[in-house]
Amino acid sequence: MNEYDDKWEDRINALLDGELSADDAELLKAQASDDRELARAIIESYQLHQAMDQINVERAPDSLTKRLNAIPREHRSKPAFSLFQPRWAMAIAAIPLMVITISLMRPDTPSASEIAQARQEMAIAFAYLDKAAVITGREIESTVGHTMANAVTGSVNKVIQSENLTSKEKEA
Amino acid sequence: MSRKYRQWVKEYQDQAWTVARYILKDAQEAEDATQEAFVKLWKNQDSIDPDRIKPWLMKVTRNGCLDRLRRRRDNVEFDESYMAGEVSGPMQGAATNETAAWLKRAISGLKEPYRSLVVLRDVNQHSYEEVAGMLELNLAQVKTYLHRARKQLREQLAEVRP
Repeated sequence: MNEYDDKWEDRINALLDGELSADDAELLKAQASDDRELARAIIESYQLHQAMDQINVERAPDSLTKRLNAIPREHRSKPAFSLFQPRWAMAIAAIPLMVITISLMRPDTPSASEIAQARQEMAIAFAYLDKAAVITGREIESTVGHTMANAVTGSVNKVIQSENLTSKEKEA
Repeated sequence: MSRKYRQWVKEYQDQAWTVARYILKDAQEAEDATQEAFVKLWKNQDSIDPDRIKPWLMKVTRNGCLDRLRRRRDNVEFDESYMAGEVSGPMQGAATNETAAWLKRAISGLKEPYRSLVVLRDVNQHSYEEVAGMLELNLAQVKTYLHRARKQLREQLAEVRP
């Protein structure tokens, strides 16, 4: 197809598409009256245009419509995470159960604050026992004599001192 | 989302089917190709501009059909035997549907991209701009190629006329 053809083809198609200006249409008409080939091309183009009008978009078969409508069901995108999926619901329900089980199995290890409080209470108790030993010793002494008092308070003091030593060792 | 998809099926299935039917010339394969295009639409719907669903779908349908043609090593070129065997001439029959049937076969026998251009523009009635987008051509190319395609059809039509 040469440049001449392209030029007239453009105009013929523009004419059929309803896009040719009135001036260009007149020019085409004038040219066609002197050019039999061009006149024939215009007539044949009209005939093709009329034939094209008889062709419509084809109706898709019902079988295809069914296949197309089934696509969302067959190609449902899987959500990455959903709390409502059965496996996730089961997993979430199991979490409290696991926490309770672990806490029951856990060895009874006191916290740092509990240890500090226990030490304080032990120190108070030993101080109390010291005082009690002195008082007891005085009462026994006044009742049964100094020798007996020493025997009793001495054994008490030994127990207290040994307990105190054990406690300090543990602290160390 | 599914409701929107069903609306797209309702609006565009016929046009996509027509493109596939003309390119593949085989009803079963055309169904498969159209289905494939809609599966891609379903899977990519979030990434497609909602205003460009139709051109996107037509382009994907056409590309899928051309891939199928390549795979089956079909001859995309003008098939002389296909035309000669079946066409005796539309004007020899009185019924206008014979002309339409002849023209359909003639369109199917065009080379690419002429065939797609005629189907998209003259059969599906898409605008030149839409066709340019679907075929990734510029407007001038679309018009030039389409004019050549029409000229071929016109000449064939003249040949078979009594």
